[in-house]
Amino acid sequence: MSHRDVTSLFAASLLAIVLLAPAPLAAQTANAVKSWTPPKTADGVPDLQGVYSNATTVPFERPKNLGSKEFYTEQEMVERRKAQEAAEAARAAADADPTRVHYDLGQFGLNQRVTAVSNRTSQIVGPEGTIPPLIPEAQARVAAKQAAARGHNFDDAQHRGLSERCIMWGNEGPPMLSPGYNSDVQIVQGPGYVAILQEMIHDTRVIPTDNSSHAPSNLRFWMGDSRGHWEGNTLVVDTTNFTDRTAFRNSSENLHVVERFTKTGPDTLLYQFTVEDPHTWAKPWSAEVTWEKINSPIYEYACQEGNYGLANILSGARAAEREAAAKGK
Amino acid sequence: MRAKFALLTVAAVVFAALPAWAHHAFAQEFDEKRPIKLTGVVTKWEVINPHSWIHLDVKGPDGKVTSWMIEGGSPNALFRQGFTKDSLPPGSEIVVEGFQAKDGANRGVGSNIVFKDGRKLFLGGSAPGADGGAAATAEK
Amino acid sequence: MRILTSLKTRALAVLALAAFPASAQQAAYRAPRTADGKPNLNGIWQAMNTANWDLEGHAAGMPAKEVVGILGAEFAVPPGLSVVEGDGVIPYLPAALQKKKENYANRIKNDPEVKCYMPGVPRATYMPYPFQIVQSTNNIMFVYEYAGSVRVVNMGTPTKAPADSWMGWSNGRWEGESLVIDVTAQVEDTWFDRSGNFHSDALHVVERYTPRSPDTMMYEATIEDPKTFSRPWKISMPLYRHVEKNAQLMEFKCVEFAEEVLYGHLRKQTQNTGRQ
Repeated sequence: MSHRDVTSLFAASLLAIVLLAPAPLAAQTANAVKSWTPPKTADGVPDLQGVYSNATTVPFERPKNLGSKEFYTEQEMVERRKAQEAAEAARAAADADPTRVHYDLGQFGLNQRVTAVSNRTSQIVGPEGTIPPLIPEAQARVAAKQAAARGHNFDDAQHRGLSERCIMWGNEGPPMLSPGYNSDVQIVQGPGYVAILQEMIHDTRVIPTDNSSHAPSNLRFWMGDSRGHWEGNTLVVDTTNFTDRTAFRNSSENLHVVERFTKTGPDTLLYQFTVEDPHTWAKPWSAEVTWEKINSPIYEYACQEGNYGLANILSGARAAEREAAAKGK
Repeated sequence: MRAKFALLTVAAVVFAALPAWAHHAFAQEFDEKRPIKLTGVVTKWEVINPHSWIHLDVKGPDGKVTSWMIEGGSPNALFRQGFTKDSLPPGSEIVVEGFQAKDGANRGVGSNIVFKDGRKLFLGGSAPGADGGAAATAEK
Repeated sequence: MRILTSLKTRALAVLALAAFPASAQQAAYRAPRTADGKPNLNGIWQAMNTANWDLEGHAAGMPAKEVVGILGAEFAVPPGLSVVEGDGVIPYLPAALQKKKENYANRIKNDPEVKCYMPGVPRATYMPYPFQIVQSTNNIMFVYEYAGSVRVVNMGTPTKAPADSWMGWSNGRWEGESLVIDVTAQVEDTWFDRSGNFHSDALHVVERYTPRSPDTMMYEATIEDPKTFSRPWKISMPLYRHVEKNAQLMEFKCVEFAEEVLYGHLRKQTQNTGRQ
């Protein structure tokens, strides 16, 4: 069985510089991306299809010390790359410490990702580059949830996080974020629909592109209700109807997400999103990541079916309680 | 107004530090105070998610054989490298360094897994010194 | 002379038709085409039968003992004809038939549907919930409402699975009016229905989707598994299009509904009440 030579893949990677027009501020909806005309599907709409990696080396929020700096210079990119490699080497060395509990990540290739490298300082765009602070109403809501859970966090499955329970993972959204590994997304288009399959954890959004009305407001979904339409070469997707347990970044059921999907080249897709929730943040905020086509199918990520972990965590918690009780006697 | 530009380079394979495996409470599942080093024979490789599991028979000094299951990584990236479910066949002799389950079961996480001859099972070139310099851990 | 020839021609035509399988006869219907010239299977579809309860023919039946005292008639097995072609009976090997009976006796405990596990193929097709076909040239995506199950059918050069999966590995091709899908590499843990009908890891399924009218399709699946069955066997059933104007798949994330079954025994017990 031949294994792809990762080194040669790295060496053979193309270095094409794509110059984008000035990035829009979060509030603008106009597509300021320099236009590249994508081919159309047989139905005559822009063809976004393919399997992509949405992995990125750009942090979600801007490091504090960078203030309002939104882009690195070329020189800074070189230095930053060296620093990242040094950090990775340090982490790998730390992992070699047998007293440190960790997974053998390199063993499974999970520290290797195909990524479109960007000179952004954060995925969140704009002068702040960070998620806005929670408004008092949201702070109270979060505090109340934490208070109710305090001391009960390992009582049962229902007290564990959504990803441990295999209900849904944070990267799925919407908005869709890079999960850090298995960062793979497939888009398949049929007449009037765009289907987006995220490898982790196999959830598929089938989005009608007829700009139809959202589902009735009493119907709430973990991943909301998505309706799409085309604006030129961009697919715009509007999502509402979230449950109050989705809580993306501590948001409420009033979360409203607008995503934009635009091919910027044969192998790249610019993914942008704006998030708003007047019950959580004083203003909307936006982010973007460029996805890179990869040459592989999506592999099944069956979570619930293989979830030994949740049973083991609860069992471990019960064992720890027994130990503590025995010591207390 | 100074124009700002976003620059992109295309299609790099990047070795990058992963975020913490935030999808589950590691510390509740495995015990840092219970390090393990097992030498055994693979009986089954569950090629599944969220974690793959290697089942192995470990013969103790008394000759008694116990069955262990060791948690590994998601196999999907391995598929992309050309590995398949047959890449770790039953009968393979492996050495597992890791930590035992908090509930004391014959279960653990493998932080370093190699064939008995020292070769890595799959990839793992990014963990220098993993095979040497280890403090002595209780052999089972 | 002419009349005799004409009769002979017609007799031959009748004989020829009779020799064709059912799907070919239905292929008299020519479905509208997608923009790339293929039969258009796009849409939201659903089976309308009780195959998910039991592939074989069954009269109305008692709910399982674990639930009969609580769910009563609501969880009774509704009656249904067999979807298995031929004599309607699945041709188990003797040892496998024994296993099926054990499965049936323990169906509430062991049916993967109770745990919100993905149903595999063909069960995903006839679970009583809609699924959507999103059809493109190189890939056809089947998105099932139940448990967010999904599979992507590769319509290009067939490829091989690196490992087994719950929804299998699908390579598809067009044969006239039919979409033919070859499904391999399914895990052995799925069942065909709620009655314990099962298979091994040697399962090989070949499906045919053949439009028979604007809003119906014939679905056929040939099941082959020499470890479990004495010969290949086949199921068939119509699939019906959801024609309501606002038809859509809805989210059916059933994981949280299975948590009590899977993890209830690991809940922290309080000292006073014994249960939180």
